[in-house]
Amino acid sequence: MTTETLDPRSADADAPVAASARRKPRSFLAALLRSPSGLIGLVIVGLLVVCALTAPVIAPHDPLRMAAGPRLQPPTWDYWMGTDDFGRDVLSRILYGAQLTLQIGVIAVGISLTCGLLLGLVAGYSSGWTERVLMRLVDVLFSFTEIVIALACLAIFGVGLTNAMIAIGIASIPFYARVTHSVVLVEKGKPYFEAATAAGAGHLRLIFVHLLPNVVPTLIVVGTLGVSTAVLAAAGLSFLGLGAQPPEPEWGFMLSASRDLISRAPWMMIFPGLAIAVTVLGFNLLGDGVREALDPRQRQR
Amino acid sequence: MTRFIAQRLLAALVTVWIATIAVTLLVHVVPGDPVRIMYGSFQTTPEELEAIRVRLGLDQPIWIQYAKYLGRLLQGDLGRSIVGDQPVLDILLVRFPMTLALAMASLVIAVAVGMSLGFLAAYKRGTWVDAGAMILAIVGVSMPHFWLGLLLLFLFALTLQWLPVAGGDWMSLILPALTLGLANAAVLARMTRSAMIDIFDQDFVRTARAKGLSQTLVLYRHALRSGLVPIVAMLGLQFAYLMGGAIVVENVFAWNGVGRFAIEAVFARDYPLIQGFILFFATVVALASVIVDVAYAFLDPRIRYS
Amino acid sequence: MSETLLSVQDLTVAFGRGPERNVAVKGLSYDLRKGETLAIVGESGSGKSVSSMALLGLLPPRSACIESGRAMFRDRDLLTLPEADKRALRGDAITMIFQEPMTSLTPVLRIGLQLTEALVEHKAMSQREAEARAREMLRLVGLDQPERRMRQFPHELSGGMRQRVMIAMAMAADPAILIADEPTTALDVTVQAQILNLMRGLKDQFSTSIILITHDMGVVAEMADRVVVMNRGRKVEEGPVSTLFTAPKEAYTRRLLDAVPRLGAYAAAAEPRRVVEAPAPVGDTLVRARGMSKTFSSGGFLFGRGGATTRAMQDVGFELKAGETLALVGESGSGKSTTGRAVLRLMELDAGEVEVDGVDVRNLSSSGLRKARRRMQMIFQDPFASLNPRMSVGKLVAEPMTIHGIASGSELDGRVEELFRRVGLEADHIRRYPHEFSGGQRQRIAIARALGVGPKLIVADEPTSALDVSVQAQVLELMLELQQSLGLAYLFISHDMAVVEEVSHRVAVMRQGRIVEIGTRQAVLNAPAHAYTRALLAAVPVPDPARERQVLPELDVGTLPMGALAEVAPGHMAAQ
Repeated sequence: MTTETLDPRSADADAPVAASARRKPRSFLAALLRSPSGLIGLVIVGLLVVCALTAPVIAPHDPLRMAAGPRLQPPTWDYWMGTDDFGRDVLSRILYGAQLTLQIGVIAVGISLTCGLLLGLVAGYSSGWTERVLMRLVDVLFSFTEIVIALACLAIFGVGLTNAMIAIGIASIPFYARVTHSVVLVEKGKPYFEAATAAGAGHLRLIFVHLLPNVVPTLIVVGTLGVSTAVLAAAGLSFLGLGAQPPEPEWGFMLSASRDLISRAPWMMIFPGLAIAVTVLGFNLLGDGVREALDPRQRQR
Repeated sequence: MTRFIAQRLLAALVTVWIATIAVTLLVHVVPGDPVRIMYGSFQTTPEELEAIRVRLGLDQPIWIQYAKYLGRLLQGDLGRSIVGDQPVLDILLVRFPMTLALAMASLVIAVAVGMSLGFLAAYKRGTWVDAGAMILAIVGVSMPHFWLGLLLLFLFALTLQWLPVAGGDWMSLILPALTLGLANAAVLARMTRSAMIDIFDQDFVRTARAKGLSQTLVLYRHALRSGLVPIVAMLGLQFAYLMGGAIVVENVFAWNGVGRFAIEAVFARDYPLIQGFILFFATVVALASVIVDVAYAFLDPRIRYS
Repeated sequence: MSETLLSVQDLTVAFGRGPERNVAVKGLSYDLRKGETLAIVGESGSGKSVSSMALLGLLPPRSACIESGRAMFRDRDLLTLPEADKRALRGDAITMIFQEPMTSLTPVLRIGLQLTEALVEHKAMSQREAEARAREMLRLVGLDQPERRMRQFPHELSGGMRQRVMIAMAMAADPAILIADEPTTALDVTVQAQILNLMRGLKDQFSTSIILITHDMGVVAEMADRVVVMNRGRKVEEGPVSTLFTAPKEAYTRRLLDAVPRLGAYAAAAEPRRVVEAPAPVGDTLVRARGMSKTFSSGGFLFGRGGATTRAMQDVGFELKAGETLALVGESGSGKSTTGRAVLRLMELDAGEVEVDGVDVRNLSSSGLRKARRRMQMIFQDPFASLNPRMSVGKLVAEPMTIHGIASGSELDGRVEELFRRVGLEADHIRRYPHEFSGGQRQRIAIARALGVGPKLIVADEPTSALDVSVQAQVLELMLELQQSLGLAYLFISHDMAVVEEVSHRVAVMRQGRIVEIGTRQAVLNAPAHAYTRALLAAVPVPDPARERQVLPELDVGTLPMGALAEVAPGHMAAQ
């Protein structure tokens, strides 16, 4: 059932005068700020960016200097989050870790978004054999799951944080390709695309003027949510020892270093984990918020 | 239906076949000399390395290597692990039951917790129950597996000492299964909610209400039975994610499954073991998705009777 | 006058709260008498569906709110009844059928269960008794093999059959009131005729009162005893059907009735209605199509397989002259849209020839095809989806001219403004986006877009079927005017015989991918040679309540000749 409205203008038969006073769509940012998830997400992500940019200024200690304080010091006024087994300040390491985390998010999502978009667009637009073969391959890679592809990549490149970022980027390409492909198919199936073809539009116009502007909003949402997946995956790999190497102040790696000291120094485990969880939560909320802002009908979802 | 199952099996076979190509290529795209990377740390002489190269067939053209690899594969030979010097298949088969136990236990938790939470949220859409459930779910989705694992470990094993830290018996399965299960429950809750909201908005639910059926009948007979179709369809993917998550969780809890060995293999650059693991993983996930597809087809009369 | 069964007083329903609040129904009152059919008529947004949903408590909870009113039924107010009591009435004393038979039945449950569950719930029947009743009902609604139907799932039945099941379900409880919400809108006209017959028969048999919600004046005239006309949430007029049609009191009702196309209104004229002083004459042959065939196969897995195939078009051929309109009529799945797309080569044919303006369309290179598209443009059915939502309407209208290098810069701007005025839109709306316009305005934009490149042929695929009748009349008027002043040829695809009669010179009737009859409009509509054409014409509900209501003819599909076309009169061909 369609929701019938009693807007005197919309119900009006067909006076070519207009819909002038029809409600204008709110600006994107205003819509984003109106949704609770968008607002909270934006605040968290904003804080993360501020932490990363100002870490050298606001960090109370050098994140790498050993014995900056006593070892395994529980949180105090000098060391808000305590110190680790090498006497390094956990808070400072977490602040610097924000830099690494942002870097991971940008690089990994950059790789997977670019390649996935290209693949999905080519497959979806071309149709026929190219599409079938490409998407079949993408589906198979997708079913391997991201972590296995990332492990395979690391087996090839060797371990390390940079390699881990690239590996995660590559591992997510199938996902982005699938999303792009399905959105392209939906948009291609809409009459406006056929209308553009019927008007005589060529390939470039069809792709860049008609398809892309309608595909990109979905990818912005997926990309934002994707940052959280990438951050989680990178922290996971570092936790397993395949990503960041000592003495990098990477959150997942810090967690891994805390494992044998959980009962003696739980703060070493709690704060880096909290940092990861809050960051991931921030990007998840922001992604949900962006989705709602772009498509008001989804608001109830 | 038969045709549908045959199609799904064929698709699974294609997946495994592509996986065999992928793992053969894997060794070839390694920058540098794979033999040196693998065996270099054993201080082998150039002659010995050459002998290994010939023994592994790495001196031959790639398609011959692939053909031979396929041939060995059909005889159940996945090669020998370099570090442990054991047949790869033996290692995987010994460890797999542990991983399977973990995965199944987690799946049960994920489905039970996730689906009920999602269903409840969809039914109470727009209320504080919905809001609460979804906040819980998004926090759960954002929580790293390994951190959740460490927190549970800290709380139940170290502080309260209710459960063992590690081991191998069923008591020590509880924490890893809970970790993996709850993390996946959060994802499932979100998916279930959105699928059920779609269903609640369908015309046929309105028809059921217009018939004056009791709330229970409308909910369970009409809405939930229909909602199960898309939800079960998502379970295949969910299982794959769960298997991926198991790799990490096994490492947190020192659970002797396939995943722990995979990580060690990547560290040691034990390529036969890595190849075997990827192939094995792909096969398990492909089979699981066939099972899920069949279950899904069984729930959907449009496929069952075609 | 018989007793009043249901009395609705001052019903007001709103969606949303605060500044977002939208009143859907405002102060609506009417009485429903025992044994009568009351039609509630209105265009989209009139509140006709919402008002009836509100009676049964079926409005979406939390978003819709009944703000005031009473609905007295058997001395109780439906609107304030506790949910449990309301539920006891729903599906028992008051039942409902809906517009979309394809989605109104639960796909995972057998027909039998869906038919019996309300009986078990309300009538305290045993499953066995309920099943016997359900079988009886299936027979009553004209479905064969009731035993088998009970075991089937909804997807195994056609749309018409599903609507029969819905009716069986609604009537099984022997309700006092049946609310039918656009029960035939989603159905083909021949199926609609069967369903309307069925509803009439059952109404007499069960002496049920019917509230019939519809937008179709033809259906009203065929079915209703009394009519309530609604517009923008308010009741405009109420009265017996004959008085309402012959002497409408309100201007709105008059306008609505005037806009309804009536089959037969133009039977005497050989040409479409003249709307300009000196219309451009019909010229030489512009489109020549021969032997067009197309088979679709459902997508295969991996590298394709021999899945199910549908023959969308078989050996379709016709000619169309400059300045002429050839209407392609047929029901859903007849291949009429496929034919339109094939002429423009928006889809590749399996076989056949298409020549437009002397150019062999099928053998053009892709750049040649793009150039050729300047001569042939298309207007689509859904004006909401056929305009790219992310382009301003000015850009949309300018696009074809940009593509074909017709104008640029200020010259282009000038031409866009001119086109806007030409189709009756204001030029200062150029910078707006499609969602800011109504359906009719959007269709004008689509027409302006097609006109810019000076085409000779326009393929119009159901250009008015998504629009309300009053808007439809205006768009048809515009199309006629453009044809007569610019000499455009239209390939006009439609399922609506009355619209076709108004606009076309020649008519081709399609069924199952074939043309079964083609000829001048007068020949085909006034003296149809093919049984299918006759059935189509007879099934059209006539918006004239004075006419004696006959049983609408039903079609014997098996005996229809579907062979090659042969001439029955000069220029008039029918399948043998």
